[in-house]
Formats: sequence, structure tokens, C-alpha cells
Amino acid sequence: MTAMNPAQPSGAEPVIPKSSGMRISMRFLLWIGLLIVMLTIGAISGIHVLLNGLEVTNLSDELPWGLWITVDLSSIGLGAGAFTLSAAVYIFGLKRFESIARAAVLVGLLGYSSAMLALFIDIGRFDRFYHPLIYWNVHSVLWEITMCVVLYTTVLAIELLPVIVESTPLRRIGILVKFSHFLHRLMPIVALFGMGLSLLHQSSLGATYGILTARPFWYSPSAPVLFILSAIAAGVSLTLFVTLLSSKLLHRELVPADVINNVARFVGFACLAYLYLKLWSWAATNYYSHVPEQQLGAEILAQNTPYNFTFWFGEVVFGALVPAIFMLWGRIRQNRNAIMLAAIMVIAGLVINRWNMTLSGFVIPLDWSPGVRDIFPINTYEPALVEWGVAIGIVAYSWFVFTLGVRFLNLYPGTGSHEHHDA
Amino acid sequence: MTPEQVPAEPKVSRLLSRKEFMSLLIGGGATMVLAATLAEPLDTFVRDILHERATNPHEGEPNYHWAMVIDLRKCIGCDYCVWACQATNDTRDDMRWNVRVEDETPLGNVFHITRPCLHCRNAPCVEVCPVGATYHRHDGLVVMDYDKCIGCRYCQTACPYNARSFNWGEREDQNPRVPEWGNPEVPRRPRGVVEKCTFCIHRIDAGLAAGLMPGVDEQATPACVNVCPVNARFFGNLNDPTSSVARIVESMPTLRLREDLGTEPSVYYIPPEGLIS
Repeated sequence: MTAMNPAQPSGAEPVIPKSSGMRISMRFLLWIGLLIVMLTIGAISGIHVLLNGLEVTNLSDELPWGLWITVDLSSIGLGAGAFTLSAAVYIFGLKRFESIARAAVLVGLLGYSSAMLALFIDIGRFDRFYHPLIYWNVHSVLWEITMCVVLYTTVLAIELLPVIVESTPLRRIGILVKFSHFLHRLMPIVALFGMGLSLLHQSSLGATYGILTARPFWYSPSAPVLFILSAIAAGVSLTLFVTLLSSKLLHRELVPADVINNVARFVGFACLAYLYLKLWSWAATNYYSHVPEQQLGAEILAQNTPYNFTFWFGEVVFGALVPAIFMLWGRIRQNRNAIMLAAIMVIAGLVINRWNMTLSGFVIPLDWSPGVRDIFPINTYEPALVEWGVAIGIVAYSWFVFTLGVRFLNLYPGTGSHEHHDA
Repeated sequence: MTPEQVPAEPKVSRLLSRKEFMSLLIGGGATMVLAATLAEPLDTFVRDILHERATNPHEGEPNYHWAMVIDLRKCIGCDYCVWACQATNDTRDDMRWNVRVEDETPLGNVFHITRPCLHCRNAPCVEVCPVGATYHRHDGLVVMDYDKCIGCRYCQTACPYNARSFNWGEREDQNPRVPEWGNPEVPRRPRGVVEKCTFCIHRIDAGLAAGLMPGVDEQATPACVNVCPVNARFFGNLNDPTSSVARIVESMPTLRLREDLGTEPSVYYIPPEGLIS
């Protein structure tokens, strides 16, 4: 294929500027300091959980999944920009998007590794984290997800390796350079493989809930498709957001304006597709039909939780509709701040959706008794401090590594970027 | 200041200096501690890699299908079955394998319903488990392999009957039902795995091996069935038309919990008066 870094002035010029100008600003130090505090909180909380078991959380047998599953689902969803943009570049041949695809790959790798971190803490036997690789239950969507996530994380690492080699002293090691050139040539195949894996597991994550007949509020054939559509919209949004933010802080154009413009429009259309299916999925089960269990569930949620409100405003209006308008209306799209705001809304919409989805199914109690009395109480959950601690640590991890990435890696080819990043 | 310390000092070829000795001691100690900590996980890891399944020799006999019938007309809600189960299988109050709730018929008649694991033929828990830690035996039992379970709790999420409990922490509690209601016959489960009713699998397997018939001979029958003061619970082999459970299921209207979900439970209920099945 083409040279690894088409826009870079040919050869000789080193990728990292001879750090005369690598000034460290106060703002940057504060940012790093904040992240280190957050990482420390995360590490302490994580060790606390590993030592004392999950009884330190607020989870229960009636509501066994909570904040960490939301973190896990969100970070995988937000990592979907990697497969989308890699597919655009390497499969559909839209080469100019390569200027943003590298950042997408790093964001993706951070999303997937965050998810694995969250799961590692969340499972009861972290010492057996490798069991799904050895003991296969091919009928389990969770097994399929685990395999896909492991394989796809490998794909992301392969996609990122050439970037790491070219931007660090590793580029002096001849064999590594050769190897990464080789990998770069393989990229179309790798991207195809990655897209296949992503299409599988991004939707299977929705199926995790969608296939459960026991919980009528979850049981739905549209859940898998809704998950992948929202992941595509929000994953690309996150890549767009961090790129624009880095541009702003570095006072430099990292990605050509037409690429930003097109990626933003793509997000707008993805939001519309998501909205279309979401509204129909709601109307078919909650408006045009009357399944008693569905209705009872909706009533319970409306009376006991804010999920009804957050569904309409967090997921639909501000999570998809308003950002779609921002991203598709040419005049608004001219404004970078508007794009960033819209991207944040899409990202928040996905996180709210994953939380609502997880919690609503559990809040509505199961009813297995044949009588007519309501015997089972509504389940409640409020994450414990230690759960927040772990979540904060995981978020800080991904921000920290991305900050280092923008600073030290040639993430935006052609701009000789790597200056400081801040948020 | 001792006299022998003075000649010792200039001796050049001493085997170990104090510093060397100390570092050897610390290093050796640390290695031993590390080895002791890692020995078990490493051993499991190697066994896992080799696919050696030392833990489940009993796959069950296919000519049996163990089932239970609970007569809701007879049940008086005394909780004896709940407590006998807790003692026998060593469960805490908040992780009971067999529970009782009070419900009522459409006309307002109160009845009691007890619920063990239903050992579904289409068990959602078996279908969703990513590692196959919960599986069907040939004799219809849905059982747990505590050595495989990773504690993801997807089975709890999928079970329509809330029949599964998770070991949120290491068990250090005193069992409130011991010894009044029996003594533990199985070891406590480790922290971080899911557990559930087994139909007293240990009694079934040992009983059959000793030539006894589960459901007939007390020693081979689940604790909850034996203890019931009004004989509301029946246990036996559904594949044998002469067994009590087969005769009841054959001859009487029975219901199973949430039949609409298609899980096909192995626990049948004789409905109370006025509850249309």
C-alpha cells in the first residue's frame, strides 16, 4: 500500500521534534496531577475490591450488575470509532480519513482495555479471567463477546503498532520497522477482520440483554442493532471530540477541515438511523401494543426511577436528535464548538443508554409465583463509593494514556503533532 | 565485644557476609511466599490448559430424570424444608437455595409456595454461561462446576426464578440452622462463585452407588423432601412410570412456574384450590 505517512515530508525529518520546544505548561501539569490523583483513587479502590471481594459493592443477587457493567458497555461502545474509521480508510478506500483513523485506533484500544479492566474487577474470580478462552460455551453470547473482544483488542494493537514504532526510538530497530511495514501492508485484511469482529460483538452486547426472555423489558430483537448503531455514532463522536479538543489546545489544525466536516456529517446520519430504529422499537412495544408485563414494567420504572425522563431527554432528544441537527445543518457544522458540543451529547447519550438499559431490566422485579399478589419488591441500586472509585480510575487511565499518545505518538500524520494535550 | 568476635572479623573466606545472609534469607522467604501463593492458581491453570476435568466424574445416568412435585394444597408454610436445606447445603439466610413466599389466588385465598432450583430442561442459565460452568447432567440435573465459574453473574441475570445466589464474600458465618435442622453435607463454596440448589446431588449419587433409590430411600432423597411434615414434596425418577412423581404428573393437573417462558422446569406444582393453571 501507500507509504505509512503520506503527508510527512519524505524521510530524514525525525518524527519527534528535538524537544527544544517541548515546554510543559502549568495547565498540562495540573491535568496530569489530576489524572494521577484519579488513578490513585482507582488503584486503591481496585485493590480493596480484589482483596475483600464483591461484598464491598452495593450489588446484590437481585441486581448483580451495576456501574462497572455500564463502564464496560460504554467503553466498548465508545471504542467503535476505530473499526468504523479503519473500515472507511482500508476497506472503502477513503484514504483522506487516515488523518483521523490513527487517533480512532488509539481511542478504540483504550476503550477495549478499559472494558477489560472493568470486567477484571467485576468478575468474582479474577484469577480465572482466562477461562472463557479455554472452556467454550459457543451458545453463550457472553462467550462470543469475550472471544471477539480479546481478538479485536489484538487487532487494535496490530493497527497501532506501526504508529508506536514510527514515533518512538523503536524506529531505530530495523527489524521492528520492517515488521510494522509488513503489518501496514496487511492493514486492509486486518481492518476487514476487525470490522467483522466489531459487527459481531458490538451487537451481541445488546443481545446480552435482548435475548433474556425472563425480563420482558429487555427481551427485544432490536437491542443488538440499537447497540451497534449507537456505538458507531458515539464511537466516531469520541474520536472527533478528542481530535478537535487536541487541535484547540495545540492551536494547530490536526485534521483537514473537510475530513472533520465529513466525519461530523457521518455521525449525524448515524444518529438519525439510531433514532429511527429506537423510536420504532419504542412504539412497537409501548405504544401500538399492550403486553401486560411491558406495561407494568414501564409503570414501575416511571414511578420509581428517572429512567423514563432520561430515556426521552438523555437518549432521544439530547443524545441523538439535537446532535443530529447540529451535525447535519451546514451552517451550525461550520462552528467547531458546535461539533464538539454535539459530540459530547452523543457520547453522553450512549453512556445514559447503557446505564438505563442495565438498570431498568433489574429494577423491575421478576415474578415467578403463580398467584396474583405482588410479592417481590422493586430492586434498588446506588453504586458504592468503591465502585465509583474503580470507575474513576478506569476513566483516568484512558485519559492519561490518550494524553501521552497525543504528546508522544504521531497520531495525526502530517502535522508533526505531539505537543501537549489538556482538557 | 565477645572475645571470639575479634578473630572472626579479619577472616576473609567467610562463607556469607551478614548482608549476603540477610538478602538470601529475605529473597528465599519471598520466593517461598510467592511460590506458596502461586502454587494453587498455577496448578489450576495447568490443569485447565490440559482440559483435565478432575472435578466432575458424575455426568449422571441417562435413564433417570430427577423431578420434584410440590403439593401446594398441602403446604402449610412451616419453612421446615427451607431450614433443612440451609443446614444440609450450608447456606446463609440471605443465600437460600430453597425459599418460601406467600401468594394468593384470584379469590384471595392465601397459599404458600416453596421454590428450589427448578432444574429446567431449557435452562437459561446453562445457555448463557460463557464457560459452561453450569451444565446439564444426563439425568436432568442442572449443576454447577465451582472450579470453572468465573463469577460473571450472567446466569443470575438470566434465571427467571431468582434461584441463584452469589458468594459476595468469603463465608465466615455461623450457620443458624445447624445442628437443629441437620448438619452440612457439602463444603462451603468459595468467594466469587455462583451457587444454587442441586436436588442434593451428593445424596443421589452416593445413594445410587449404594443401591438405594432416590425418592424412596431417605438417605438418597433431598433433605427438603424428607423433612416435610405434611408430605407435600415428592421426589423421584420421571422416566420411571411407577415412581410417585411420574404417577402424579401423569394423573393430575399440575403447573410449572412461568411455563410461558418455555424453560420446561423439572419441578411440578399441584395447584391450590381456586388457582387455575
